[in-house]
Amino acid sequence: MTTNLKISLGIGAVVALILALIVAAVVMFGDGRAQTPATDSTARTAPAQFLVREDSHRLSTAADGKVTLVEFLDFECEGCGAVFPHMERIRAEYAGRINLVVRYFPMPGHRNADLAARVAEAAARQGEFEVMYTRLFETQTQWGEASESKEAFFLDLAERAGLDMAAFKRDLDAPATAERVRKDQGDGLALGVQGTPTVFFNGSPLDVEPSYDNLKAKIDAVLRS
Amino acid sequence: MTTAPASIVTRSLPYVLVTGGGLGLLAAFLLTVERLRLAADAGYLPTCNLNPIISCGSVMKTEQASLFGFPNPLIGLAAFAVLVTVGAALLAGARFHAWFWYGLQAGVVAGAVFVHWLIFQSLYRIGALCPYCMLVWVATVVVCWYVTLANAEAGRLPRSGVLLRLARYHTVVLVLWTVAVGGLILQRFWSYWIM
Repeated sequence: MTTNLKISLGIGAVVALILALIVAAVVMFGDGRAQTPATDSTARTAPAQFLVREDSHRLSTAADGKVTLVEFLDFECEGCGAVFPHMERIRAEYAGRINLVVRYFPMPGHRNADLAARVAEAAARQGEFEVMYTRLFETQTQWGEASESKEAFFLDLAERAGLDMAAFKRDLDAPATAERVRKDQGDGLALGVQGTPTVFFNGSPLDVEPSYDNLKAKIDAVLRS
Repeated sequence: MTTAPASIVTRSLPYVLVTGGGLGLLAAFLLTVERLRLAADAGYLPTCNLNPIISCGSVMKTEQASLFGFPNPLIGLAAFAVLVTVGAALLAGARFHAWFWYGLQAGVVAGAVFVHWLIFQSLYRIGALCPYCMLVWVATVVVCWYVTLANAEAGRLPRSGVLLRLARYHTVVLVLWTVAVGGLILQRFWSYWIM
C-alpha cells in the first residue's frame, strides 16, 4: 500500500470515528426530542394540548368550534409569506365562524426569524399581535433573508404601529418573551412539525397545500355538515 | 513528450475525466430537468424545512442559481460533456498539443472557482443544500485537481515543485478537502440536525 493511500484511509478512519462518537453522544445525551410523539406525520390526530394553548394567539374565534386551523409559522419563511394572503382571505371570509390560531416556529436557518417572533410577541403584550403579524408578513421582502440583525427595522415597524416603545423594547428583550416563542416551537417539534408553514386542520396535518381554494373547500365541507 | 513511465496521477487522468465528467454531466442533466419542471409549475408554494438537505427546486429559484442570467446547469451540460470526451480521447490514445492542455487547465480552474463560490452561497447565503449540486462540487474539484497535477507532471505549469510533491499525496489532498467542506456543512447546519 502506498503512503498516499495509507494517509487517506487513515484520515477517513479518524473522521468516521469522530462522526460515530458525535452521533453516539447526541443519541445518549441529547434530550431525545427527536424521538418524541407523532414523528410519522400521517393523518393522525395531534394531541390537543400541543396544538392550542391558553395563551396561543387567535386571529379568529368561533363559538361552535367546528373548524380549528392552527398554523405553525416562521415570519421569515418565504413559504409562509406566500401563504399569508391565502390565510388573510380565509380569515376575512370566515371571521367568527372558525378558530384560526397561529403558533411561532422560527427556523434556525433564518437570521431574523426568532427576533421577528419576539417582535410579534412583544406587540402581543400590548394587545397588538394582529397588527404586527400582518406588518411582518407585508414587509417580509424588506427584511427577510438578511445576514445581519434587523432590529432597527422592527423597532421602526413597532413605532409606526403606534406601540408604546418603552414597553415594547423591554418586552422584546425580556426572557419571558423568548421563552414564550420557544414554548410554541417546542409544541411544534412535539407534534412532529418539520417545516413551515405547517397547518393543522381540526387536529390533523393538512394533506394539501394551504391555498385559499383548498382551505375553503375543507372548511365549507365541515361547516355544511 | 515524456518517455519516463507515467505516474499514477497521469495514468488515472483519463478515468478521472470520464467518471468525474460523467457524474457531473448526470447531475447537470437532472438539475436541468428539474429546472424545466419548476418552470412549468409556477403556482407552487415553497416551504421552509428544518432539514437543510432539500429538493433542489428551492435552491434553483435563487438568484445564484442563474448567475449569468440563465440556469447554471446549462454550463454543466456543455462543460462536463467536454471532460468526458477528452477523457475518452485520451483512453483512445489521443495526444494533445500544449495549448489544448492550457485550455483544459483554464476551464477546470474556472469551474473550481465557480463551484467554491456556489459552495459559499449555498452554505452562508441560501442556507440549503441540494444533493445534485453537491455532486457537481465534488466532480468539478476532483477533475480540476487531477488535470492540474497531470499538467504539472508533464512540465506544463511553471514553478510546479509544490504540486509535484503534493502529487505523491494526491488522494490525501482530496480527502482533506472533503473533510473541510463536510466540516463546514456540519458546523453551519448543526442546529438543524440536533433540534
